Amino acid sequence: MSSTKDPEATRKLLASLWERSLPVLRERCALLERAAAAAQAGILTPELRAEATAIAHKLSGSLGMFGYPEGTDLARRIEEHLEDDGPVDPPRLTQDVAALQIALPL
Amino acid sequence: MPTRHILIIDDEDDIREVAALSLESVAGWQVTTASSGAEGMRLAAAEVPDAILMDVMMPAMDGPTTFREMQKLPELARIPVILLTAKVQGVDQRRFAGLGVTAVLFKPFDPLTLAEQMSEALGWS
Repeated sequence: MSSTKDPEATRKLLASLWERSLPVLRERCALLERAAAAAQAGILTPELRAEATAIAHKLSGSLGMFGYPEGTDLARRIEEHLEDDGPVDPPRLTQDVAALQIALPL
Repeated sequence: MPTRHILIIDDEDDIREVAALSLESVAGWQVTTASSGAEGMRLAAAEVPDAILMDVMMPAMDGPTTFREMQKLPELARIPVILLTAKVQGVDQRRFAGLGVTAVLFKPFDPLTLAEQMSEALGWS
């Protein structure tokens, strides 16, 4: 396979991969939103918390490579908050999830 | 950079696709992908890549477990392995580096410089 070594061509390919990833990213953000709402209502189960932690981890590892480093920072903040042994801080979680959604052109 | 053959093992579709795109289009390397540790071991044995880029956190068999299983097989043990992780805490980094892998790279990676980072880690540059 020949090398393009053309950053612009690579960026265009990345943009098309981003477009293709959007449905999954939207689902992941929706799950974080559900977890934040459950935390606000005092009904965040350990299962949903674990699922949201895993989703935040996946987002922290992927958003930056698509050119959204702020998304990675926010997802990492959410992951670290949720995987902490202590109780969840619902307002903080809600605020971080909202900021994540604002940071991404979903 | 000379043509190389890289096996990417990651359960995340988007990470696999972006890493493959990056190594193919930026460096011109040949890439094979696997979505699990078990599939990765099968492909590594069949294709004997020049190096393996492997995610740490995967269901069923994670990256460190897959690496340890590869070390038990002489034909796979000699293939350099680079782990890819989104964990940035020092304790995790030291744990992964202590496994004996060639290098640990961090997600999110820059698609435009991933091949360069790998080349440097593998002593190919």
